[in-house]
Amino acid sequence: MIEDVHVSLAHGNGGRLMRVLINELFVRHLGKESLDTEADAVPIALPDGEIVITTDGFTVQPLCFPGGDIGALAVHGTVNDLAVSGARPLYVTLAALIEEGLEIALLERIVAGLARAARTSNIKVVAGDTKVVPRGQGGGLYLTLTGIGVRPHGTQLGVHMISVGDMVLVSGPIGDHGIAVMLAREAFGLRGNVLSDAASVLPLTTAIASTPGVRFMRDPTRGGLATVAHEIAAGCGQAVELDEAFIPIRPTTRSVCDILGYDPLYLASEGRVVAVTSPASADEVLTAWRSLPEGQDAVTIGTIQKGTDHLSNQVVLRTRIGGMRFLPELEADPLPRIC
Amino acid sequence: MIEAGEAAARALLERIGGIPTASQVTIMNVCGGHERSLSMLGLRTALPEHVQVIPGPGCPVCVCPEEDLADAIAVAMTGHVTLVAFGDMLRVPTNVSKGDIASLAQARAAGADVRPISSPQEAVVIARSLPGKPVVFFVAGFETTTAPVAAMLMEGVPDNLSILLAARRTWPAVAMLLRAEDHALDALIAPGHVATVMGADEWRFVANRHHLPVAVAGFSAESLLAGIYSVLRQFHEGIAFLDNCYQELVRPEGNRNARRMIAEVMAVTDAQWRGIGIIPDSGFSFRGPWQRYDARMRHEIVASERRRPGDMPPGCDCARVVLGKVRPNECRLYGKACTPQRPIGPCMVSDEGACHIWWQAGIRTT
Ligand code: SF4
Repeated sequence: MIEDVHVSLAHGNGGRLMRVLINELFVRHLGKESLDTEADAVPIALPDGEIVITTDGFTVQPLCFPGGDIGALAVHGTVNDLAVSGARPLYVTLAALIEEGLEIALLERIVAGLARAARTSNIKVVAGDTKVVPRGQGGGLYLTLTGIGVRPHGTQLGVHMISVGDMVLVSGPIGDHGIAVMLAREAFGLRGNVLSDAASVLPLTTAIASTPGVRFMRDPTRGGLATVAHEIAAGCGQAVELDEAFIPIRPTTRSVCDILGYDPLYLASEGRVVAVTSPASADEVLTAWRSLPEGQDAVTIGTIQKGTDHLSNQVVLRTRIGGMRFLPELEADPLPRIC
Repeated sequence: MIEAGEAAARALLERIGGIPTASQVTIMNVCGGHERSLSMLGLRTALPEHVQVIPGPGCPVCVCPEEDLADAIAVAMTGHVTLVAFGDMLRVPTNVSKGDIASLAQARAAGADVRPISSPQEAVVIARSLPGKPVVFFVAGFETTTAPVAAMLMEGVPDNLSILLAARRTWPAVAMLLRAEDHALDALIAPGHVATVMGADEWRFVANRHHLPVAVAGFSAESLLAGIYSVLRQFHEGIAFLDNCYQELVRPEGNRNARRMIAEVMAVTDAQWRGIGIIPDSGFSFRGPWQRYDARMRHEIVASERRRPGDMPPGCDCARVVLGKVRPNECRLYGKACTPQRPIGPCMVSDEGACHIWWQAGIRTT
């Protein structure tokens, strides 16, 4: 039993309290079978295929926000990085940096959410580490996850596969995560019922993994859709043309953006996929996505255009009234610490 | 997902395309909000090539005189005063010798109590929370800011709050532009927010005295295009009158109550515009009894000695951008030495500055 109400430095000193915290909280939720707390390193079994690995730190403020918390977000973020590279996520490691004074009940809620997210995505937490940092030296809780997955040999996904004429698709409305987290900070005296879209995109990527003509997938997190579009443009040396009228944005998200002067095209989503496909397979991808609950609003939002002269490496926005402008690269991040 | 307003906007674009025009038509807008809508909507690329819409004096922060800024910095640096100002004022640079404090943001970094606010009400809240400590509200803005400040004073403010006034009136700057023999303007889009407060009628002089078509417009694509369509049509037919394309909010006489409050608290004076010089009747000062709220009286700010009309930072074309003589991307420093991260002139700092707006809208090369 954990008797304390708050995490103290003693919970990170390697002694009894730390053992209790790990066993009663982390192991209890994350599962005894997979998480061997005695070993310094553990063997993992991998099926045949190309092994892919990713690592990511999570520092979101506040730790809990409408539609999620840092625990579920961390798992989804890691799973999503593997998923959009065409892999099936299998394992994650978890390092938790806990700030002295964090409520243990809150930590427990977060770890339970993390465990739930891991179970839904069918991945195992196989190694972990906890550290406690002194009060004032951390934002409550930071998580770092390393994810391991496997994808079929010869998977051909990446910006280098993209060519002129390809289509740009998105699996659903963008920017909800950024707005949900920002409203949860309550710095603006605004209240909105925007829920974060934080979720695993694995069903979306699995649904189209074997569709020929899928060239590239990415989840538009920090920097949003505009930033992914810039990665695509820079990666293939062509121009990305996006059609503003077709980019799905929820009305509440749009109006919060209007009031606060944010551009939703630069706001993070944590449960969406941007895909580039050959023109022939766009419909197949849309049909597959729309048959899933998380892909009902999937839509084609743009095309890859020839990047001649001043257009190369650029993102062009066809505006709602039919005007054109360049969509610049993100300069200052309007919303730091959203993931 | 084309919405009703967008369909109307597209229809207006078609009607604009249908107006036969032999020559180039130059339309000026004088409002940062208009400029932002125009740029973000990519409206210029959707208009016929012979129609040019250019930004004019629509940014009060951009023309806030250096000496007023220097005064604000000096007051803040005394150490016993809390200075509050609208957020984008903080990073506006002044010309100082290397190593000296060049902006309110730098004053803050050096330990001065400088706080960004987003409404006059916040200034009152801060003053209330600091009883006994002098709080100075540095006000740079057009009539849309002046009116709420006047209202705030009439409602009553805590004794420790005073105002460092650098407010400006919009139409006198346009009047000055149009008095020049060689101006190259063919029509004007009058500012929707200012007209909401001061009335559409303020802009009648453009048509009556200068014989240029003029339309008050709002900020949606539809309203802006309605304004542009109106002035192009007038231009084509060789007539000039004041059209109100923002009737939802703008009345001929404006907001009587707001105008009464401005008139009660403030008198009209000649005023300095940064990099431009003195424009007659373009500023405000406090009327008799209200002078006790004047920070200049209360804090014995000695009017700064730095009164030079050509005081934009070296190499910065901001003043000519404000006057519509050049476009932001024609400045040599645009996007090179001067970006929103490292702005050289106020037009790249303020949210209403044309350089900042063009940069945000992705306009890069000339
Ligand atoms: S780009 Fe910078 S330096 Fe040039 S006019 Fe604009 S603000 Fe001034």
